[in-house]
Formats: sequence, structure tokens, C-alpha cells
Amino acid sequence: MGNKIAFLFPAFITDFTEKEVEFLQKNSIDINQYLSRISNTLSIEFPGFFYDNKYFREELNSQILAYAISCAMSDALFSKGLFPNLIAGYSMGIYASLYASGSVNFETGAELIYKAYNLVKELTETGKYGMGAIIGLAYNDIERLTQAKSYHAEIINVNNEHSMVIAGTKKDVRELLEKSTDEGALTTAELTVNTPYHSKFLLKYSEPFRKYLNKIQIKNAEIPIISTYNQREVVQLEEIKSELVFNLTQKINWYNTMQKLINLGINEMFECGAGKDLKKISRFIKGDYKLKSIHKI
Amino acid sequence: MAQITDKTREEVKEIVLDFFAEECEIDVEEISEESNIISDLDGDSLMFLELIEIFKKKYNLNIELKTIGKYAVKNPVKTIGELIDMQLLIIEHENNILDL
Repeated sequence: MGNKIAFLFPAFITDFTEKEVEFLQKNSIDINQYLSRISNTLSIEFPGFFYDNKYFREELNSQILAYAISCAMSDALFSKGLFPNLIAGYSMGIYASLYASGSVNFETGAELIYKAYNLVKELTETGKYGMGAIIGLAYNDIERLTQAKSYHAEIINVNNEHSMVIAGTKKDVRELLEKSTDEGALTTAELTVNTPYHSKFLLKYSEPFRKYLNKIQIKNAEIPIISTYNQREVVQLEEIKSELVFNLTQKINWYNTMQKLINLGINEMFECGAGKDLKKISRFIKGDYKLKSIHKI
Repeated sequence: MAQITDKTREEVKEIVLDFFAEECEIDVEEISEESNIISDLDGDSLMFLELIEIFKKKYNLNIELKTIGKYAVKNPVKTIGELIDMQLLIIEHENNILDL
């Protein structure tokens, strides 16, 4: 029996392996051409890419770069004749997922990121919101800490049984991180993000985002996408629009998403994106599968 | 409380080195007790947790992750040698490690 393949798309770039460009070049792909197409679409001049370019650390630019690299990498895999049975996108990785699934073209995917960012920008620009990661505490431990002080912060994603992501007001995110350390978390870290993605603070943007989605060109997916919101298979246009809204404004669960892929018989996964964050967090997700960083191919 | 012998130390060292060699896809000879876990080996907390799980099973340890977390915050490790020493303390003292 042949392998069942999934392409996985990460969200933000935390670290490069610094082999990304080399991999793309080997496959005759120039990342700057992808950035140039986004520049033309959004009328924003993106500078040339190099690993230490601080320009791409700004929140929107970082998302755009992550999207461009992810799309370029999935194009490289397609050109090698590798085609997935299923696709999943971690958080903002949903946009590259849609591109790889054939649901949106490259430019529309970039427009979606730009629109979502601008929609929630009023929160981002206050500097009052943030996200954090907690490693080494169980879900219930963090829930208990959150409820004890009624923090305006909440778990918005479960990476695996030992790794959670929180979002909320920056003040409460920081306090919850400190309390988690006191409780025995092995590591806590504030993320370099000023938007409380997937938290209750974004719920009010559901309707405006849905209205926008009705105006742009989205098609049925040619390859099913596993929802990170409730792990259903998403193919139809209206379902895709709903998933985009859920992905922005509701909690997600990567652990359950990976379990779903494994239960559906996926045994080979490719991380289409910069760095190897998804490989790292797969460490405690058991199953008969291999998750490959793309530059290892 | 387990007795730590030279054999235990060698066993723990071998497991740690083999683990990092496999995870980092490098030869075990490239790793020494002086290797920095983060800057030399690109290690992370989840790798540390996985190692703990390995030792918990191998030595049938009674220790909570939260206890190790509290100890590790006060006694952070940077090198493979320090990590081996911490694993030995965990094996030796289990949940009493915080009393050290």
C-alpha cells in the first residue's frame, strides 16, 4: 500500500533552518519572485529576502513572508510529483493551505492575510494584546490558573499534551506565564505577536470578515483541508469561508488536527514552510507517521 | 531513592548522547559533555521532556513533570554534561529533588 501524504503549513516563522532558500533554489524557485508578486498585489514594496532581514520581523511582513515561503515550498513538492491526500494549516498557515488546495490563487491568499491583519489592526496597534507559549503544564493546570484570577487570557491552542498557546491582554498573558512558571512549567515564552489570535477578543470581527469573504474569489478545495477548529474535512466553498472565520476568531486545536490526520491513515507529512516548528511540536503526538522537514527531501 | 553508580552514569550518558544524535541527525561523536544544548544542538524544552519520559519509563521513576519544572527553573542546564547530571539527580531523588 502506498503512502498517504499530508502537507502541513506552519504559521509564523520563529527560526529559520537557513536551508529554506537553498532548497527552493535547488528546485528552480526564487522566493523573491513570490514576494514581488505580493508587492504588486498589495501595492507594498517588500525588500529582497535574506535571513536576518529585520523588515520581516514586523507582524504583517512576517506573515507575508511565511505565506510566500510556504506556497513556494508546496509548489516545489508539486513539481517533484508529490501530491497530498490531505492538507492542514497551523493557525495563519490556513492561507497557504488554501493556496495548495487550489481554493485560492497565490495573490488572493496574500490579500486574505492583508485583509485579516487590517481588520484586527485596531487591536494590534494598541500594543495591549499578546500571546504566549507554555511548555510542561497540562491543559487543566493552565485552566485552573486562568480561572483562579479571572485572567483576560485563555488557552487558544493545544500543540500537544505538554505544549499550549495562550492569548489575551498582554498584561494578563505575562501574569499567566509567570504563574505557570511558579506552577512548574518547564518553559514559558511571550510570543512576538501583538494580536490575540484565536481568542474571544477577535469574535467581533467574525461578521466583517465573512462579508469580505463573500466578495473575493474562492473555489472548492481540490484537496480536502482538515479544520483546526473542529477537525472536519473542508472542501466546499461555503465551508471554506466558515473555516476562515473560525480560524481567525475561535480557538484551534493542532493536537486534535494531527490525531485526525493520523486516524485517516496519513503516514507521511511534509512541513511546507520556514523552520521546523511543526516537527518540534509533533514530538508528543504519537502515531505511525513520519513528519519531514522539507529541506530533508 | 536509587543508588547512582558509575554504570548508571555511563548508561544515562549513552542514552542522552544517542537521543541528541538521532534528533539532531548528527554523529554521536560530534556531541560532547561541553556541547551547548541550544546553540550547538538546536535543542528545545520538548526534547528535554521527551528525555524525561524515556528515563521515567526506564527507571520506573515516581516524579511529576511540574516538580522537574520547578527544579529546572532554579537550576537551568546549558550543556549536555549538566543535563546528564540533572537526569542523574532526577533518577536518584525523584519527587524529593526539590528538597536538595
